[in-house]
Amino acid sequence: MPESTIRRLLEFDDQVQRDRDQSPAFLHRRDRRFALDCRDKGLAPDPDQWLQHVRNLRPSLPADDTLRRWRHLTAGFALVGSIAGIMAMLGLLFYDGGQRINLTVILAFVLLQCLLAAITTIQAFFGWQPWRWLLRKFSGTPASTALRPLQPILMARAAHTGGLLFGIAGLITLLVLVVIQDLAFGWSTTLDTGSDSYYELLAFMATPWHNFWPAAVPDRELVDATRFFRSNSQGAADPALWGRWWPFVTMLWATYTILPRLVLLAVTALHTLIRARRELARHPGMIALQYRMETPALETGNRHNDAADQPDTSTRGQLHPLPDGQVLIRWAGAGEPELPDALSAGYQQIFTAGGNASLEHDNGVIEKAGKALASASASPGAVVVTRSWEPPTGELADFLGQARKSWPVRTVIALVPMAAEPDQPPPEHQLSQWLRFAARSGDSQLVVSALDMASPQGRMNRALQEDHK
Amino acid sequence: MVAPVFAVVGHPNKGKSSIVATLSQNDAIAIALEPGTTRQRQEYPLTVDGKTLYTLVDTPGFQRPRRVLEWLEAHSVSASDRAETIEAFIVQHRDDRGFTDECELLTPLTEGAGIIYVVDGSVPYSAQHEAEMAILRWTGRPSLALINSIGEDDYSDTWARALGQFFQVVRKFDAVSAPFEQHISLLRAFGQLEPAWERPLEQATTFLLAQRRQRQVEAASLIARTLEEMMSFREKRTLTTLQTSELPDDELARQLRTSWYDNQRKREQHLRIAIEKLYEHHRVERQEAELEWHSEHDLFSENSRKAWGVNRRYLATAGFGAGAVSGAGVDALALGHSLGAGALVGGLIGAAGSYFYGDRLTLPVLNTGVLTNGLRTATFGPVQDSQFGYVVLGRAINHWWHISHRNHAGRDLLDLAPADNHWLEHLDRANRQVIHRALARCRKQRALDEKTRLALAGAIEQAMAAYDNWRLNRA
Repeated sequence: MPESTIRRLLEFDDQVQRDRDQSPAFLHRRDRRFALDCRDKGLAPDPDQWLQHVRNLRPSLPADDTLRRWRHLTAGFALVGSIAGIMAMLGLLFYDGGQRINLTVILAFVLLQCLLAAITTIQAFFGWQPWRWLLRKFSGTPASTALRPLQPILMARAAHTGGLLFGIAGLITLLVLVVIQDLAFGWSTTLDTGSDSYYELLAFMATPWHNFWPAAVPDRELVDATRFFRSNSQGAADPALWGRWWPFVTMLWATYTILPRLVLLAVTALHTLIRARRELARHPGMIALQYRMETPALETGNRHNDAADQPDTSTRGQLHPLPDGQVLIRWAGAGEPELPDALSAGYQQIFTAGGNASLEHDNGVIEKAGKALASASASPGAVVVTRSWEPPTGELADFLGQARKSWPVRTVIALVPMAAEPDQPPPEHQLSQWLRFAARSGDSQLVVSALDMASPQGRMNRALQEDHK
Repeated sequence: MVAPVFAVVGHPNKGKSSIVATLSQNDAIAIALEPGTTRQRQEYPLTVDGKTLYTLVDTPGFQRPRRVLEWLEAHSVSASDRAETIEAFIVQHRDDRGFTDECELLTPLTEGAGIIYVVDGSVPYSAQHEAEMAILRWTGRPSLALINSIGEDDYSDTWARALGQFFQVVRKFDAVSAPFEQHISLLRAFGQLEPAWERPLEQATTFLLAQRRQRQVEAASLIARTLEEMMSFREKRTLTTLQTSELPDDELARQLRTSWYDNQRKREQHLRIAIEKLYEHHRVERQEAELEWHSEHDLFSENSRKAWGVNRRYLATAGFGAGAVSGAGVDALALGHSLGAGALVGGLIGAAGSYFYGDRLTLPVLNTGVLTNGLRTATFGPVQDSQFGYVVLGRAINHWWHISHRNHAGRDLLDLAPADNHWLEHLDRANRQVIHRALARCRKQRALDEKTRLALAGAIEQAMAAYDNWRLNRA
């Protein structure tokens, strides 16, 4: 159970890392779609279903070896624990027929085991990692970030497994030795301790099993009889009494070495499960996933892309000097309220067309201008003044097309775009659109001129000559 | 319920596509100062979970409005048949190349779209638009006029007076520079055109506001992650005995340093792209901006430090806070018997360290390991000065601010000018300390846990808000 929870956490973290470079809009669409599908099926979307959904949509991946590494580590601890358990028990029960096996030493060793088991659990709960160097040494790749908070617990699990195997191997060794050897137990201490106190201590320690195996609880006589001293190594007791301790030692070992490890291993497994679930629930990716699943996916209409479909804005045409002309037409209100003298002087007729004038009026202008141009002797010319900032539209193209049909063939038509401030030249980008318009028309007699290219003085002189005539 | 449709119509080159680009957050719409850039109508629906709340339709501009009006007037008997006459016009001229644009722009109106009529308020009012406005009035659809501003001059008041005679609502809206709040306000105004449109538009604005908030949270998270990676980045190389003897330490340091700089710049560029993608800006002219940035405001230049680094007083304050937290641990161990002396001493040590050493942009040093199995490892980094983190943070937040305030109609070069003030001083003390502690941890190569990461992202989000305020007040 904890394994599957950890695997789920690792898989989730792995998927979050994969999603890191995806666009947030895509992730939102994907996860919201999944949530909506779940809702349609009457299911509440959860991480398991989400992982399954994502798994189904991608090719199968090689199994992650992070957990296998931990399994190997745990197996290593178990092996070392088993061997150490056998060795430790052989050492504790070493009996060469001379010195008794001292129960006090066994008691101390068992209590040490208890202490170690407690420390292992405490360090797991507080997240200490004094053995981190060991992991670094044996682990080729750095641990997944998601697994990092679980490392102390996983390490405790490995340690408890080793401890449990240590205890079991020790117990088996003890039983084997009891069968194949005649072990002589006794108790001894340098401290000034009477057998009464020692008996009370042992009776207290035997409390857990005194009901179901009374034979494993030492009586006062046995304690009195099996005390030995360094100066009197043989002791005075009946030799049969030395062997009566083995049930107590067996239960002592099982209760204080094996049982705590077993209980703490179960606690650690539960702790792993709870912690892995908590890490999954608190994973930043989970918070983001919940948000994406719960929040409707918003598309603002930004899928259409015609950025590459730009018009050709290269301008090949050039400005021409303002030609001599007989007719000036103000198109769509250009030059309102008054044309500059430098431009208006010298024309036989000035008309207005376009804008809010009627089409009938425009036709009349074409007709009247045509007459004036036809009467011009050498070079008929018409100037059409426009607002430089207004783009040339189809209406102007229609007007010029119609005029071209009515006017003398040789008529030069000059478009003169004027800026909002008549004394200022129009900006370059505004002139460009008029040059492109003239070039697109395919009419070689249609040119674009700028107001500042006409010499005001020359135009004034021409006006005076016209007046004189 | 049918979702409302809004046709954005008007004279050519008045910014119709810009308005649509900004409102649909689409920077891939062709925009050019050339009549005829938009040749066909294009729909831009705003959808929530696939359900359309409203649709914007970008259309070509009017080319022959007087001819259209003349035809309409010639075929209408009374005001009651005007809408039908418009439909008849479209049917009649569907294949007429002279009226392609008019058919394209009038079609959505005959299908029930609302009218968003766009004019350019930076040029003088022209009566030639009146034919267009008259045609639109013939459709009988709810209408709103938008005064966009393409140039620098302002004739919007004249326009507003004239447009007021033709349209229900007249609003000013600069497609390139209007702040996000104005986008929302404009959409709400669309919703006011017809009672049935109010609810979907209100829903849309709620979702857009939530999306913007979420984007800021995600941007903070991206910046926090990059900051962590850049602060703890180490350039590492393993050398054989032969390489060790052939390559002098100076040269090795130079090579590693160059590689370290390149990696840091790349990481920073990845962050730029990620933030731009987050805000749906896929075509920001970064090339020019990058060059400009690097020549004038290089990440590692002294100028950069002056612009984006923090001063000694700031470092001392943040250092005091960070040190005090460590010192408080001593107090906890002493079960309070130290009466807070631990926090005070820790704070003073932190402040002094930051004050004396924090004002130098210390480069990471070369570190060569011992020879093992004929191989030696040389590392460069991580950077040993928190100022580096503040430079990265300042630049990242500056970029985020520009991107989050950039409208999708904008096509100008992104100019990331450095700040002329230490804006981070507007951030509250607690968040300063969170940032300072996180930078210190990265510098010491101690991995950040998820809690610290979340706290750092939260503090950066607050720093973004502080920067926004500072910009606002400066403006």
